[in-house]
Amino acid sequence: MDTFLSEKNKAVRRSVRAFCERELRPIAKEIDHEASFPWEVVEKMGKLGYFGIQAPKELSGAGLDTLSYAVVIEEISRLCAGLGLCVSVHNSVALYPIVVFGNEEQKKKWVPPLATGQKIGAFCLTEPNVGSDASAIESTAIREGDAYVVNANKVWVTNGGVADICLIFVRTDPEAGRKGISVIVAERGTPGFVVGDLEDLCGVRANQVSSIRLYDCRIPSSHILGKEGIGLRIGLTALDSGRIGIAAQAVGIAQAALEEAVQYAKQRRQFGVPIAQHQAIAMMLADMATEVTAARVMVYRAAILRDQGKPYSQASAMAKLYASETSTKVTDKAVQIHGGYGYSKSYPVERYHRDARVTRIYEGTSEVHRMVVARGVLEE
Amino acid sequence: MGPHIIVCIKSVLVHAPMGRSVRTSDSCELNPFDRPALEAALRIKDEQGGSVTVISMGPDSVIFTLQEAIAMGTDRAILLSDPALADSDTLATSTALAAAIKKLAPFDLVLFGSRTADSDTGHVGPQTAILLELPFLGGAYMIERKEKGLIIERKVDGFRERFEVITPAAITIHSSAFDPRDLNLTGIRFAYDEGDVEIWRLGELGLSPEQVGDAGSPTKVLSLSRVDRVRKCEFLSGSTEEQATQLVQRLVETGTIF
Repeated sequence: MDTFLSEKNKAVRRSVRAFCERELRPIAKEIDHEASFPWEVVEKMGKLGYFGIQAPKELSGAGLDTLSYAVVIEEISRLCAGLGLCVSVHNSVALYPIVVFGNEEQKKKWVPPLATGQKIGAFCLTEPNVGSDASAIESTAIREGDAYVVNANKVWVTNGGVADICLIFVRTDPEAGRKGISVIVAERGTPGFVVGDLEDLCGVRANQVSSIRLYDCRIPSSHILGKEGIGLRIGLTALDSGRIGIAAQAVGIAQAALEEAVQYAKQRRQFGVPIAQHQAIAMMLADMATEVTAARVMVYRAAILRDQGKPYSQASAMAKLYASETSTKVTDKAVQIHGGYGYSKSYPVERYHRDARVTRIYEGTSEVHRMVVARGVLEE
Repeated sequence: MGPHIIVCIKSVLVHAPMGRSVRTSDSCELNPFDRPALEAALRIKDEQGGSVTVISMGPDSVIFTLQEAIAMGTDRAILLSDPALADSDTLATSTALAAAIKKLAPFDLVLFGSRTADSDTGHVGPQTAILLELPFLGGAYMIERKEKGLIIERKVDGFRERFEVITPAAITIHSSAFDPRDLNLTGIRFAYDEGDVEIWRLGELGLSPEQVGDAGSPTKVLSLSRVDRVRKCEFLSGSTEEQATQLVQRLVETGTIF
């Protein structure tokens, strides 16, 4: 599978894997159990460039390609899916839209602290009544002099509990429908900016997912990302790239489950032989390895297309759909191979199974991705 | 002007699929014992300025080891690569390294890891020092710069030895002396997109094929085979006290305890 990777991509994998093995393996179980955010590790990751993987070097980013980004997310998620999610979302849907749509002043203000991990970013689109249909958002930003008065109720915000810089999707022109949506950048600490309780989630528990509410929050008009009315375009562009990260996260989780299952199947003995020698188990392992490899190839393909400047929307939708569904299947089989132990918190496979489940839901459900893929297929 | 430090590194084999040793980034890694030596050099550079040059010997396919060193912060990287260097033993390797180091003069320090993870001889550091007629210290734990020369500490058999050493000198670094830094992504991008690894062939070293490789190696590996360890389980009998006495006796007899 490394056929697709350049020597630079491989160096990225080696270094991130070594770091995560040392820093995350010893704490992954605990931070899942306690749903705590490992600040010490995150600070180190910031210094190593993990929070500005593709940001331009002139703005303190690492200036790497999309394939490197996918590899980093895959490797972090192999040890801790919650932190893989944090880094993925921060890079792809918080930082990247500022790099692409921000004006020079906005880029200089927000990109360096985000790219070096001194500040953490979040993407606030979903609302209690708005999920897949992003154009129906109800949050508003009303212009008053040189500021906007923002009222927003955003839920399921990845990184919400720790984010300093939030991209808030708001309606700036209630009459303009889809073209009345804009993105305004809200900084934590602004009066009226309230972080809700952390969600008690089934998986990715190290991530501090929360709601974020803005009550009559006055935000300078210079914080409108790019210009008014391009919010949906910003959102869709961000999500196109974000899907590659979530797909890579799903591959990382599945890879971890596969490794555990192989190790367990070689050690666990029943009927006088290691269970790997029973065909029922060997066949499961064969299917798991095949599916993980296929998912990884699809993710890398989407990343390579993006790096080549070619259309990659279909490829990233397919990769996200396939990788997330693979991840739930593979982690389920890993639990099955572990038998009763797989259902216990003594082994990590139950955590992988919990972590994998959400990849079919966030950053576009499997159903929405099927719609995207179907549209592409029918247009061809 | 800060010191010029040369660090000799090696890519060691970690995977040999089907028993074949093809040296690439998939089958090799930077010798873990060389990382503390690189770290020692980079810390001196961080504190005192100067420059760090890395040298490695191996086929062109191990260039990644030097790129990794560039990603960590070294200034110059040189790979000694020539078909004539293949099958060099530790003396022939030291001959090639010494020739390269002479070309890089002036320098203040030549650092090595204490040994390699794949052949484990520990010869190359001291042999190269002799060929270069440099003072040598092995297993350094601490390096402190003085006005003239260095203070170097090493730990041996429960004692701490403190040396004054004149430079230029050659030193091997103890494997647990300095925690090597992590590679940051910016460094990796720089190393692969902008970093330059110089490749020196035999001609550039001023050596003839007879001095290196198989021809220049006084020692030959005749064969390589795996040693299978057989575990034996023995039950001791008697009262608990008798069993304990027997156990202690066995452990003393086998030299496990004294």
